[in-house]
Amino acid sequence: MNIDLDHPPSSSRHYHLPNTAQKLSKMTGVNPAIFQDLQARVDEDTAVRDELKDIIAALEKQNRNVSFVLSRAHSTPVANLPEIIEAAKEPIGNVVATVSKLSEAASKMPYYKFNNMWSRQVQGAVEGLLFWGWLGGYKYEGGQVKCGQLLTIEDLGEILHVPVNLKDRDEFHLSLEEYLQSLISLVEELTRLARNAVTLGDYERPLLINQFVKDLHAGFQILNLKNDSLRRRSDGLKYRVKDVEDVVYDLSLRNLVPKKEEQT
Amino acid sequence: MADGKPEQPPSRFSAMFEGFRKELDEHHDRRERTIKASRDITAASKKIIFTLQRVRNVGQPVPAFVNKNNAPYWKIIEDQYKGIAADLQGLNAYRYSHNITGGNQEFMEALSFQHYLETQSVIPQEEAQAKIAAMGGEAGTVSLTPDDFILGICDMTGELMRFSVTSMATNGKLPAGTPAAPNKRVKQEASSEDINDKMDIDEEPSPSQGSQKPRTVLDDLRAIRLQLEMFEAPLGSKFQHELVTKKMPVMRECVDKVEKALYGLTVRGSERPKGWMPDMGGGRQAEVESY
Repeated sequence: MNIDLDHPPSSSRHYHLPNTAQKLSKMTGVNPAIFQDLQARVDEDTAVRDELKDIIAALEKQNRNVSFVLSRAHSTPVANLPEIIEAAKEPIGNVVATVSKLSEAASKMPYYKFNNMWSRQVQGAVEGLLFWGWLGGYKYEGGQVKCGQLLTIEDLGEILHVPVNLKDRDEFHLSLEEYLQSLISLVEELTRLARNAVTLGDYERPLLINQFVKDLHAGFQILNLKNDSLRRRSDGLKYRVKDVEDVVYDLSLRNLVPKKEEQT
Repeated sequence: MADGKPEQPPSRFSAMFEGFRKELDEHHDRRERTIKASRDITAASKKIIFTLQRVRNVGQPVPAFVNKNNAPYWKIIEDQYKGIAADLQGLNAYRYSHNITGGNQEFMEALSFQHYLETQSVIPQEEAQAKIAAMGGEAGTVSLTPDDFILGICDMTGELMRFSVTSMATNGKLPAGTPAAPNKRVKQEASSEDINDKMDIDEEPSPSQGSQKPRTVLDDLRAIRLQLEMFEAPLGSKFQHELVTKKMPVMRECVDKVEKALYGLTVRGSERPKGWMPDMGGGRQAEVESY
């Protein structure tokens, strides 16, 4: 099955075939060099894929570590969130380092040739960062955390040290689609947090989340989405908005909504 | 979508999403243009192949009627490639490669089939890519990936099968290269096969070369099959899946069909009075033709 893997692919290569191959080509009219060239090109791709696979597997594991730490936010009062922000520092640092590695390796090849290999894991990394950012982790300077921040795609590029939404050159970057997918995941995470905040006796954050997811939902409605996975997932946003509204409704029904906040 | 907006006050993320909308719209426009071009290229290529199936000889330029019939279709293909070349440059070459692959494969099928009929050889990838590049004009070329090429060649074996079977049914023999004098044959190959003159001189003294029977289409089909069987697509890729589950089984079947037809011709053909069709059974032949 081995077809001359060491040969570099070059357009003039089939003029310098071993003599037997030349004879074969003349006898059959099917020049094996044509197929060998392509095999060499395909094998190069395989080598790159193998290199990327390890990095991607590492990223997936590190994403899990981040979400492991951040998921404690669901059972932690706001006052204690700084501990979680602190605990997330290291796993997030690992994610950033791995994304840099991925960026370097992946930039050797056309971005869209392989991006489906890592798109899910990059989204995972971004989801973690978005939730961490919402909890107030981005540029946190001590003291009480300030929840409710939305990291823009540019913020994320800065955190991960990668270009975002590239158009003019072919390199690794964080794509718009990946960012939007991760925003949808953030809404899902926050919907869960709205309920869990109530359980913790925190009646303020559900209102904050309510406004936040409404604003994001309104944002998604501005987009003209075609019938793709982004469309299908964003269709679910309205149910999340309703879920959060239900929480706020339950609170207001029982006069639990803090007075200073305006009711919805 | 626009209706949703007035109901609620503009969200604080509106400006950001307005920018996203513009970009996504551009992306979808490029994608749709590519898909449409791919379909048009596919349709025109099919028509070209249809006309090429009326050719009865290999190893010589196709008859004038073929070129005349196909000229408008080649023009359509050229216009389509020219139209989308700008959309498929740089970063976007691979972004939409799965949208254009259908057209590329069908184009490869038509191009390689005509190339085979005229030269009795497989077109090199560089030559096929150069053809597409020439059509893209100043905007640049549309990439013909290894996947497009290999899958297109797989499809081409189906055309060679139809070509062979039709020829056996009408002429009672398998199409082959011109059974000319040995010297002439070498010469003809030199011009058609894109091989250096120097090589031919090396080859000429070889005694076995001159005395050989002309190559048949089945010889070539088997050689192509051999090459395709040896080809290893990346493990777990879409390309591999397509190749292993769809294209290769069909390709093997095509070679089998020609072998079976030749068997029929060999066993019964010598008894055949002039004008009598090879007895492959009416049903069998219909099956082959409708394939």
